[in-house]
Parts: sequence; structure tokens; C-alpha cells
Amino acid sequence: MSRVGLLPGEGGGSYRLVVCVLAGIGIVIAAAPVVIIFIMSFSAAETSSFPPSELSLRWYESALALFRSDESSGSQAVGAALISSLQVALVVMVLSVTACIPLAYALVRGRRRLRQGMELLFTLPLVFPLVMLGIAFLLLAESLRWELGLWRLVIPHLALVVPFVLRNCMSAMQSISRETEEAAISLGASPLRAGIDIVVPLMKPGILAGLIFAFIISFNEFTITFFMYTIDQSTLPIWMYSRTVSSLDPSTLALSVFIILIDLVMIIAIDKIIAGRASLF
Amino acid sequence: MPAHEQTLQSLMRHQSAARVRRWRPDSALWLLCLPALLIITPFLVACLYMLRFSVSADTGSINGFSLQAYAELAQPYFLRSLWLTLKLAASSTVIVLMLAVPLAMVIVTTRSASWRRLMTVVVLLPMILNLLIQSYGWILLLGPAGVINTTLLQLGMVERPLILLFNEKGVLLGLVQTSLPLAVFPLMSSMRAVSQEYLEAASGLGASHWRSFVDITLPLLKPGLIGAGSIVFAFNASAFAVPLLLGGRRVRMLGLAIRDMISPLFNWSGAAAGGMVLILIITLVLVLSTWLVSRSDVRGGS
Amino acid sequence: MKSAAGMAAALAMPSIVKAQGSKRYDGKTVRLLTWSDDTGLAVLNHIAKPFEEATGAKVIADRTGSTSEMVAKLRAAGDRPQYDVITLAGVGGVTLAADGLLAKPDLNQLPNLEQVDPQFRTGADGHGIGYLLWTGGMIYNTKTFSEPPVSYAQMWDESVESRLFLPPATWTDALDTIFATSVMLGGDGRDDDAAFAKLAELRDRLLTFGENPTQLVELFRSNALDIGGVYAPAFFAKELANPEQSNMGATYDLEEGFFADLMYTIMPKSHPGDDDVVHAFINYTLDAGVQGVMAEAVLNGPVNTQAVMSEAARTSPFIIKPEQLSDKAVVHDKNFIASVREDWIKRYTQTLS
Repeated sequence: MSRVGLLPGEGGGSYRLVVCVLAGIGIVIAAAPVVIIFIMSFSAAETSSFPPSELSLRWYESALALFRSDESSGSQAVGAALISSLQVALVVMVLSVTACIPLAYALVRGRRRLRQGMELLFTLPLVFPLVMLGIAFLLLAESLRWELGLWRLVIPHLALVVPFVLRNCMSAMQSISRETEEAAISLGASPLRAGIDIVVPLMKPGILAGLIFAFIISFNEFTITFFMYTIDQSTLPIWMYSRTVSSLDPSTLALSVFIILIDLVMIIAIDKIIAGRASLF
Repeated sequence: MPAHEQTLQSLMRHQSAARVRRWRPDSALWLLCLPALLIITPFLVACLYMLRFSVSADTGSINGFSLQAYAELAQPYFLRSLWLTLKLAASSTVIVLMLAVPLAMVIVTTRSASWRRLMTVVVLLPMILNLLIQSYGWILLLGPAGVINTTLLQLGMVERPLILLFNEKGVLLGLVQTSLPLAVFPLMSSMRAVSQEYLEAASGLGASHWRSFVDITLPLLKPGLIGAGSIVFAFNASAFAVPLLLGGRRVRMLGLAIRDMISPLFNWSGAAAGGMVLILIITLVLVLSTWLVSRSDVRGGS
Repeated sequence: MKSAAGMAAALAMPSIVKAQGSKRYDGKTVRLLTWSDDTGLAVLNHIAKPFEEATGAKVIADRTGSTSEMVAKLRAAGDRPQYDVITLAGVGGVTLAADGLLAKPDLNQLPNLEQVDPQFRTGADGHGIGYLLWTGGMIYNTKTFSEPPVSYAQMWDESVESRLFLPPATWTDALDTIFATSVMLGGDGRDDDAAFAKLAELRDRLLTFGENPTQLVELFRSNALDIGGVYAPAFFAKELANPEQSNMGATYDLEEGFFADLMYTIMPKSHPGDDDVVHAFINYTLDAGVQGVMAEAVLNGPVNTQAVMSEAARTSPFIIKPEQLSDKAVVHDKNFIASVREDWIKRYTQTLS
């Protein structure tokens, strides 16, 4: 599997050193704040001075208590927010990937002109300032006067995740040769069957990455949701926001570690269910 | 999987005999685009809605036509934000690529599966955790009384705490961090596709690692690099949360300026016009990068 | 004092006392929008919850956003609001009333108004009911200052360079800061050119804008900030009670004066819930006991002149009582603020960032 040629295993002198140092800096930048939050969540102290002088699990206990207590109502209930976050993220994940697989196929196999135009079109949501998109969706939803329920959040999230899902599906699609598929057709399979039985399984790594990106982005989306949520349909990031604005006690940090765990469990589950040997990792 | 591979191989054997006809008309391809187009339609409607709003004569609702909102953007208030946004988005893109290429290289070449998994998860972390919480992590680390400053002060290396956050440096760091995963993942797939033979041939010819990186790896990675770079640029140019939380509100990127127009200034047509200008500029950058990719594709193919 | 408050409450809602088994508003719902910060949390704990217990109504609270975000949401929703009642800063109430989005509450259904200081009963052209007073002064580091600063001029002192914060441009406190600077320079508060020229000196000395009060707490605790204003002590009720650990102090006792803004409870037109229960809720926010508890919890000034407060709260320097609004308090002319608001927000941003 490993591409030895890209990076020499031994020797390689200054080249190897520079590559490893830069990669190390990248890892540190990516992980630093999360590692600090992780350590702080085990602090025994009331205040958030770092590094903590003593360690304990007390903030995990108080974070758990938040789930158990029914003191809060409406959009303030963390359990309800968690459930609707998961619902939205799962629907967004399934729909976006289902739509992007045929699209990726069409773009890679289709004419260059079609591909360039479509690629640009489906990158547009990434370019749009999110605040702007939030207010636009809100004004539209309010002027249409439909009772959208869950879809009030699913629809904008779909637009947000599509650029990521599509890119991942396309990069997987590009590595599948046309011959493989044409062979199946020459044996009498319908183009649709050939697509479903041959192409989709070969696209798995890309599909997988797409599913994971879609889940992570939707599950953690804040800016648009901030405009679109209603009192009955709120999400975990919104709940976290209203909590952290008022106070940042370490139980919020413990809760953040919970959320990271939920994300990781979902990522691993998706990887296990879909991937088989074509694991993303 | 083995079942698939078997069918595949037997299919491949038969395939060479048959001359395959052109079996798929364009209309079928359009049909395949349909579900995705459907999904993105509400977004396109929202875009048109904003476009319509940006030429409204009224600042708070759609009413009449006027280009006033665009004319008002030619103020230092907006132009400085625009310049700052482009500057930060461009410099963060360069830094991200400089970190993401080695990082993707290391992940792809790591032999141990568990190390590879760990690094992949770590690279995903910035996307997973709420930015508000992450910003506290940064403050504890880089703030005026954070770990780094305390250490430097104790070692006597500085006399006053260094201001590492609440300025452009802090925002740049946040932009690099949050967009790193967006670049690493596409680059990883590009690297998997880089042909082993080219590199081996190069080292066989006695080319140094630097030479073969510059002459062979980089040109082969070019489409991936441009793709990753454009996604990072677009993402960071429209950033909002990072300048809000790590800029101490002093680094006014366009995303923030637009938010201020939405509330508390309630100049919604102005916000729409500002958004349109931003989108136009980013789209130009993306078109340019697509053009560069297609040019390099053509050259590679010929 | 306590029994008087109890009497008042009993008179206000006699039917509650009568009907013990089934409460008056069983099965009815109030949808409340309030701030995301500590003041909103206090609304939840000290108004919504006891109201539910007393009346049987259910309060669904949305605790997200600042006043200007609330205004944006209500404007977007137009004539189809999802909320019954909203607590927000004065300027928000005035803006929404001017948009024609608010209903006028029936004052006859608000018996507690009688105990409210007449100047704070209603506003926003009768659409807003007085709620509490938002007061702004200076926040300072108790380690650095053994005595509270006595003038906003302290922010220009070289010793606080890079240890200074100012309110963000989007808050009304930023307008107060411009006003205070003008007064400090001997003006009447409206002399904006001079004020902005003076504020420009702070551009490179500023550590951060106080967009996020929790972030400020962290910066004070780690001794990275010395002073800032105009800012409301209301955000820091817990920290001000414990300066040894938080390093935080606050003062209103400033040469140029302090700032007071009457906050409102408002009721959107065609709100989803019953008028009766919404009025009962607004009336409850004015209850003498509730006002006292809220004042103590978030350091807002009570508008009910008979507010029931503990001895500590009565003597607390951080809670401004209506009778203390002498000539030191600046209560803005809302029309003047509305006329300069947009221009000042833009210039403040340009001057300082």
C-alpha cells in the first residue's frame, strides 16, 4: 500500500527532515486546541487555569447530569437537541451521497464542458458567506409559509455538504477505468446494473469519505442553523452556544469531549459498515 | 469483495474481444445529474433571492430596483475589509498547502495502519469540535497569559507577553487550522494516484529527493494542489467564525462585515451586495484555477 | 416588606390562590425569546420556572442571541412570529415598534405596573413594557487598581497599553463609549468628531473587543486585562462577588457618569399563544419579588420601586435602584441614538480596527 517513492523510508537527508518537520507542524496546529480542551476537561479545579493542578472526573459527572435532568425545556433540552442533530445529520448524509454518486459518475464520464460548469456550480455553496446564506434561507422559509419541520435544517445543510461529498466521490470515480464498466455491458449487463454492481463498489473509498464529511459538517454546523432553528427544532451546536455564552465551566469542555466521541463513533461505524477492506484509514 | 474482483477479472478477459459501441447518450448523463440538481435547487433559489435583494431600493426588504447598495460599497469601510480578506485567504492558502502536502505524504506513506488511522483522525479534529470551544483552547495556549507566554516570561526570553491572538496572526493561525483537513484529504487521494514508476525511475536515474520532488511529484500533484488550494481559498475568504473568535473583533474580514450589515445595521441589501461581490471574486479565482487544471490536463495528455 | 409583596402578588392573581388543584393556565404555553448570556439564564431560572409553578403554564424558552439578532429574526419572520414574548434592550423594542411588528399590551391586565416607577412603565410608543435597567460603567482589574478608577480617561493611561478592552461596535455600549469620550473631552456627548479623534489613540493599545464576556472573564482571571468600558457589570455577577479569584471589579462612580437603558418586554403581533397568559407572564416579570431576585442575580436595576431585595443587594454598589438615577446617569434620548446609530457604528469600527 505505501508509496515509498514519495517519501524515502530511510536516509533522504534534508528532504525527509523538512517533510517530517512540516507534517509535524501541521499535526500540532490541527490538534493543539483540542488536546488542551481534552486535558482541561479532566481538571479538578473550578477555574480554567492551564495546566490543571489536579485531575478528576467531576466535570464528566456534571455533564452527564445535564442529560438526566429535565429542568430545561424547549430548545434548552440537550437530549432533544442531540436527537435532532443526529436525525438531521443522518438524513443529510444519506441524501447527499445518494445524489452525488450518479453526479460524480456523469461528470467524470461526461464532456469536459459539462464537468467544468457543474463542478463550479456545486462549489458555489462553499463560496457563499454562511451568514448571508443563513439569512437568505430564513427569509425564503418564512415567506413560503410551509411547515418544514426537520427539512428546515436538512435543506440548507444539504447545500453545504454537497461540495465536499462531490469532490470525494469524483476523486474516487476518476481512478475507475472505463474499460471495466464497458466489459460488463459487453457481457449483456444494462448500463444501470453495470453502474450499481461494478462502479459503485469501486467508488467506496470516495463514498466513504463523502459520508463522513457530510455527517461531520451537518452535525457540527452552526452559522446557518443559528438562523434556521426554531424553538421546536434545534441542534446540539446551538445548545452548546447558548451554554458557553453564559459560562464556560469545565463541564462544557467535558461535553465537548462527549461530542468528539459521538463524531468518532459515527466515523468508525460508517467506516466499518460501508468500507470492508476499502477503509478510509 | 473477492466475488466482485472475480467477476471483474472474468469480465476484463472477455472485454478485449468486443469492440464496445458508444452506449451512453448525453441525455442519460443529464438524468444522472438530476438528483443532485434537485438537492441544490433551494440553494440556487436562495442565491437568486440574494441577488434580487442586492438591487432592492429598500435596505430592509425587496422593493423596487436600485444599484445604491453596490455604490455604497465603494467606501473604505468595505474596501479595507475586502483587501484584508483577500490577503488573509491567499496567505492562509499558501501556508495550508505547505503543511498539507508533507502531511498527506507522511500519512500516505506510513506503513502502520494504526498510526495512519490516528493521523487521519487528528487531521479531522478541527472540523469536529465547535469553534467556540476551540478558541478557548487557543487562548489557554497563546493568550497573553497562556502557556507559551508564561513559559517565555519565566525563561526571561521576553519582557512583556507577546500578543499572539486578537490580531491578524491569530486569525491566520485559525484559518490555517480549520481549513487544513479540506486540503489534506484531496491531496491524499491525488498522492495515491501518483505513479510509483515515475518516482522509481527518477531515483534510478540518480535524481536527488529534492530534484524528483520538484521535477516529478509536484507536476503530477498539480491538479490536486490547485483543487485543494481553491477549496481552501474559497472557504477562508468567506470565513466568519474564526475572525470573530480569534480576531477579538479587530480583524474585520468580509464575513464579519457582512454580518454587521445584517445585524445590527439592518442594511440587508448592502449585505447582499457585499456577499455578491465576495462571491464574484472567489468565483473568478475558482474559474482561473479550473482553467489552470484543464491546461495542465491537456499538457499531460498530449 | 415581604408580606406586602405577597399581598400584591395575591391581589394580582387572585384566582391562583383560589384554585389550588387545577392552576389557572394549565395546558397553555408561552414561547419566550431571551438573551443567550447569563441574563437570559436568569430569566429562565427566576422568571420562567416560578411562573410555570405558580400558573401551570408551560414556558418554552429560546435563549439564543443578542438584541440585534432578535430583531433580525423577528423582522425575517414578519407577521408570522414564533414567539409570544421577548425581553430585549430598549433600542430593539423601538426598532420593532417602528416596523409595526409589535402588539400594544393591555395595561389593565398588568396590575403590577402600579408599583413601577412612572418613568419606566412603558416605552416604544406603548409597545414596550419596562423590564429592568441595563447599566454600564467600567470594569477594572482589582490587582492593578487598589481604588476604582474615577474617570474614563484612565483608559488612555499608558500603563494599561495592550491590557485594555472596549465594547464591540455592534453593541449599544459602544455608542455609550463614544458619548462618554465626548463628555470626557468637555463636550455634551454629541460632539462625535472630537470623540473619534480621541478614540483613535486607543487603536494600537487595545487588546480585544469584549464581544464575548466569558472570554473577558478568562482574560481577567489570567491577569491579561486591566480595564475596559463602557461595559455592563451585569455579565459578571458571579465574578464581581469574588474578586480574589476573578480579579474583577466594576464601578459606576465616574466623573463623566454612567449609562442606563430601560429594557423592555414586548409582544409581537399575531403571536402564537393566548393573550391572557402572555399578559400574565409580562405582569409576573414586574412582580416585586421577581424584580428583586433578578436584580440580585444579574445586577440589573429593578424598575419596581417596591422590589424585594436582600440586605446585600440593597447595599450592592453594582445594582442601580431607580432612586439612584441622579444626574450622574445618562439615559439616552432614543431618537438621538436612532439618528446617529448607523454612522457611529461604522465610524467606531473604522477608527478602532
